[in-house]
Amino acid sequence: MLTNVSLVKTGTNGRSLKVDVAKALDLIGFTFPPKVNTIIIKLNLCYYWNASTGQTTDPQYVSAVIDHLREIYGDDVEIQLAEADASAMKTKYTFPILGYTTLAEQKKVKLLNLSEDAVQEKEIQVNGSKIALKVPKSLLQSDLFINMPKLKVMRATHISCAMKNLFGAIAYPRKVTYHPQLAETIVAINTVLKPNLNLVDGLVALGRFPVKLNLIMAGTNTFAVDWTAAQIMGYKPSGIKFLKEAIKENLGNPRDIHVVGEKIENFSKDFPTENNFNARLKMGLQLSFIKGYSRIAGDIIPPSLDDA
Amino acid sequence: MGKQHLVDCLYMKEVKVVAAADPSKKALNKAQALGVANLYTDYAEFLNKEKNNVDAVIISVPNFLHFDAIRLSLESGFNVFTEKPLAVNVQQCKDIVKLVQDSGRKFMVGHNLRFVPAVEKIKADLEKGVIGNLEVATIEEILNGPFSHPRVPAPVADWWFDPQKSGGGALTDLGYHMIDLFNFFTGEDADVIFSDLSYKYNLPVEEGATIVLLTNKSLIRGIINVGWYQKSVFPKYNFRAILHGDAGFLSTDDLVPKKMYSHAAKEGAKNILKRIVGGKVRRLSYTYYWESYYKELALFFECIEKDTEPPTTAVDGLKTVQIIEDAYKLYKNTKGRKNVD
Repeated sequence: MLTNVSLVKTGTNGRSLKVDVAKALDLIGFTFPPKVNTIIIKLNLCYYWNASTGQTTDPQYVSAVIDHLREIYGDDVEIQLAEADASAMKTKYTFPILGYTTLAEQKKVKLLNLSEDAVQEKEIQVNGSKIALKVPKSLLQSDLFINMPKLKVMRATHISCAMKNLFGAIAYPRKVTYHPQLAETIVAINTVLKPNLNLVDGLVALGRFPVKLNLIMAGTNTFAVDWTAAQIMGYKPSGIKFLKEAIKENLGNPRDIHVVGEKIENFSKDFPTENNFNARLKMGLQLSFIKGYSRIAGDIIPPSLDDA
Repeated sequence: MGKQHLVDCLYMKEVKVVAAADPSKKALNKAQALGVANLYTDYAEFLNKEKNNVDAVIISVPNFLHFDAIRLSLESGFNVFTEKPLAVNVQQCKDIVKLVQDSGRKFMVGHNLRFVPAVEKIKADLEKGVIGNLEVATIEEILNGPFSHPRVPAPVADWWFDPQKSGGGALTDLGYHMIDLFNFFTGEDADVIFSDLSYKYNLPVEEGATIVLLTNKSLIRGIINVGWYQKSVFPKYNFRAILHGDAGFLSTDDLVPKKMYSHAAKEGAKNILKRIVGGKVRRLSYTYYWESYYKELALFFECIEKDTEPPTTAVDGLKTVQIIEDAYKLYKNTKGRKNVD
């Protein structure tokens, strides 16, 4: 069964973000459920950096989505902006720092720390590994679940987009402990959490450096969104471990993906691709050189460089 | 910083590290692995038990503990090196100055930027008269502050965002160094004539600050610009001091290595050669900036050995905190724009 992924260039002809969100949804033929009481938007606030760095979901984009939802459902529907704490990040700081506390007040929506939510314990088997997950119940119980990831590269997984953003929804804050099985954990959480809609923030994307791509992506299938996102970021999706695992777990099929709206090349040509292999090699070599030099010269390695 | 100082001490022949205190078990395990014998989770217990065993202590604790740790250390008879800021308010700083005077011990504050080679060079040139009279100094440091993402991720400690515990935000954290450098360059007392703080992060402390200082005697202006908002990662280091004089100008940008990796390779090669021929290795020169931490500690121990006055004193710390406190007051009273009618 075909699944659409739409690509929309925002801000052209002076259109507002809200109009472009509506356009992205029209292109995939998305129909909102007729009656909902609760809507949860999972943000991508991995750290304290402003949206202009390409690391975190832009509040202006979220604001446009809220406005669109209010038009459809009115003021009575409860909208929650959700994020979980992470190994190095506390939502009690990211919400105010990144402008979400202000946005929540302005738009009369709630902020939800998923790490403080009631959880459902799950154990998922992926690629022979059993992955234990604490899944926030709010995400499982909401009437409409919207995933709003950033489009960015990440050394450990090559790309970070819709599927990886759901990894960020795991309630347990010390998610760094999952890193030895990162691909498997990403797939595991994606077998449990199924957003109704993914709306990717590619307004400012992050490659080797941040770049204004002015891109909105929409899709209902999380795997399909990431398969497309990988191509925009210059990767061969079939070379990305978690996407390969996702195919095995029947989370999606590349042959079913239908890209609508703008062409992938319209964005990939401007994306500053990152060679993860070279970047990791460079980092590893640097540390090896420093360690070797330190032994020969009897010099100090600053602990902040050495602490692995 | 505590780990950096510990490691630096281990490379100093004249120094023996005998004890360490840290509430973190992980940190103590690391210290033990590095050969430190006596370990404590409570610094008060450490200071009490090591009273007769130790000559000097290095204090690297959260800002709000500086005063108590310094007071206990001086009262226990230790020579003291403390990380900046001296303390979280002027009153505590004044009390520390008095405690230092009464104790007769050596006391030094970690104003490490004074020992960065580019800063040392422009200070020396300024004193030689290369740029004539100094008229304006612009000194800035914009980086990630407490938001630097460590290799092993850990959240930013809550005390950073509590003004009672931290003393303030970017101005206290980074501005402290910039103000000290201004005092170092001018050698004069200064007042704050403009103060604008940024609270875009919606935190109880500022993430950015721009203040203007004016010295009392020669009317030298200092423009201090600091911020925590920049996602920049070492070896990128967004710091500069520019001294504008009547006869010319001096800038650290002209002296800092343009290519840090080439600099590291060159300095590393020099040190290896020195090691081979039996010369003295210039510790951490390959990192450029970290060398300053080693240098300031080495100077502290030298002052103890030679019974000389440390180069950065409690009074230097007091003057800096006084300016910071004045800048906070000025911003609060005038929203920064003192001279606008």
